[in-house]
Amino acid sequence: MENPRIQKIRAEAQKLLIEEKVDVVIGFKKGSLPSKMQPFFASSVEEIEQLELNGLCSNNLAVYLNHRSKGERVAIICRGCESRAIQTLVLENRHARENLTLIGIPCIGILDIHKIEQKLQGSISSITEEEGQVVVVSGGREHRFDRLDLLHDACLHCEHPTPVNVDIMIDEAGWIPENSFDKSYCQAFRLLNIAQRYEKFSHETERCIRCYACREACPMCYCEECFVDHSRPQWIESTVEQAGQQAWHIIRAFHQTGRCVSCGACERACPLEIKMTYLTDLLNQDMERDYGFEVGMLPDQLPPFATLSETEEQFFHQQDGDHVH
Amino acid sequence: MSIKWLSNQDYEKLLSGLIREYSLYAPCRSEKELGFRLVEEISQIAIEDSGNTRFPPKSLFFPQSEVLMKYNGILHSVEKEEKRKILFGVRPCDARAMKLLDHAFNDEKAPDEYWQSKRDSAIVISYACIAPGGTCFCTMVGGSPFGTVGSDAQFVKLEDGFVIRIYSEQAEKLFTDLPDAQKKMTQAANDLFDQVINGMPAMVEKQQVHDKLLSLFESDFWREISESCLGCGVCTFLCPTCFCFDIVDETLRKERVRNWDSCMFRIYSLEASGHNPRPTKSERTRQRVMHKYAYWVDQINEIGCTGCGRCVEFCPVNIDIREIVEKALHWEMIGGAK
Repeated sequence: MENPRIQKIRAEAQKLLIEEKVDVVIGFKKGSLPSKMQPFFASSVEEIEQLELNGLCSNNLAVYLNHRSKGERVAIICRGCESRAIQTLVLENRHARENLTLIGIPCIGILDIHKIEQKLQGSISSITEEEGQVVVVSGGREHRFDRLDLLHDACLHCEHPTPVNVDIMIDEAGWIPENSFDKSYCQAFRLLNIAQRYEKFSHETERCIRCYACREACPMCYCEECFVDHSRPQWIESTVEQAGQQAWHIIRAFHQTGRCVSCGACERACPLEIKMTYLTDLLNQDMERDYGFEVGMLPDQLPPFATLSETEEQFFHQQDGDHVH
Repeated sequence: MSIKWLSNQDYEKLLSGLIREYSLYAPCRSEKELGFRLVEEISQIAIEDSGNTRFPPKSLFFPQSEVLMKYNGILHSVEKEEKRKILFGVRPCDARAMKLLDHAFNDEKAPDEYWQSKRDSAIVISYACIAPGGTCFCTMVGGSPFGTVGSDAQFVKLEDGFVIRIYSEQAEKLFTDLPDAQKKMTQAANDLFDQVINGMPAMVEKQQVHDKLLSLFESDFWREISESCLGCGVCTFLCPTCFCFDIVDETLRKERVRNWDSCMFRIYSLEASGHNPRPTKSERTRQRVMHKYAYWVDQINEIGCTGCGRCVEFCPVNIDIREIVEKALHWEMIGGAK
């Protein structure tokens, strides 16, 4: 059965193209595999029918603003995290807000394909969603799962599934109430001692093959030259050894401070299923606690580290010894 | 060469013997994925009817990072391993890939000592695919789920045991104690092949693909198919036939290392002057596809893709090389541009 929301999305997108308000609409279309959707760029009315949106749309479409020219008038179909990423990119002068039309859609969360695969044997021949359920056909048999059991962890931890500061909102109410998600895992990490934290960090980073899918999938990683690619001087080893792997992951995380929207696109892009958001989520919590800042929520609020000056009273603000052990 | 029979009861005994005498690498399951690892106990081996390791076994001969020399003044000598290596449970696509890589690394005029020293002494035992996965397309590019190119021997799993087809003398020695397979066993293996191959995609006309891609070199086609590309290295790093590398000096460790490189990276073709002959993802995507489907054909008259499907399955934005080839062949028919 056709999702009624997609009809509304297509209608809005079509209107924008007919009225020549935008040059391109960025969304998703059906992929080549039952488990995949593809980012899609519709620049003509005929292409609008291909637009789709479901729980298998695993990328953060805001990343494509970094691939396109600043003058282009772009409409993006965006969920909560995507709207906040776009907000942050606009603040960082990556694109002019007046050239953007945001078609917002309250998010129902992205499915974690690895969680689906773990529950099944053999290849998947179809995945369909019905309200709170996911129906997977594999090995000729139909399997039904509760949608919440298959959500990507980043979506389980999401605080703002409803997009902010959009131009057009499809369906006012989200399917999942705000703040119903579990955020206790950050606290669990804080309770670990430094050796335990290092163990967890090492365990994740040792699988890294330095393909940089995490970097390229991230809307916030748009540097013309990434620090890992710099060769004079070479900041970190490019050899796939512990020192380089760890340096990449820790510096990547710190560069995200006050900028990461916790979408989890990095983890979903990773071919080795490395966890990364546990680091950036902690940094985001610190930003909220120390500066009352939430990434991408307000259109005129720069990230604290973009405005911080040495004359500021709380330059080296530190609280309850959480940062040092 | 001969065809042997290994009953299910004798499987453990044979494998235990191989583990004792050789360094046996086989697909083993870790927390997240299947990968070729050194086997200490048979129970570690996790070969199923379908599915492949996340990382290609080429890394056993061409590690992602390999020390070429240490700068204490002398060339790092290539160490001979004490025990010979056996790669067991290699999928036919990956075995064929290593044969293709021999063209790059085992060239008569300029053999790569690092590849050769590991490759030449290793025995590759492939494992026929009796349930190819949804992203498998070996038959489209000249391979087969029972293909034996690059294999010293191949196991075909039947209900009561394995038909072992042997193709080299070094593999022959491993199975001397086994009985020859009876006619009904080999017939059963052949029947199984007929059953598995049914429904697999047909071989593309490689010269036609080659010619068409070359004709599209300056076309808008590449911009269109690469529009969603993120520019990461997943497709190339998981590829069993990609072999590009970069050589760096890790000065703190006083080592000269070669690391896998990827034509999909922005800095891959960036020149010291600042000029980049492949400035956008269109040119970079073109290079990846052309290398496999046109340049390999020019060089050795074979497609340089073995259809393992890793790039299809793990591309974060579902760029599917099968679709690219199909789309290229029909490019004019769909109007050439939007």
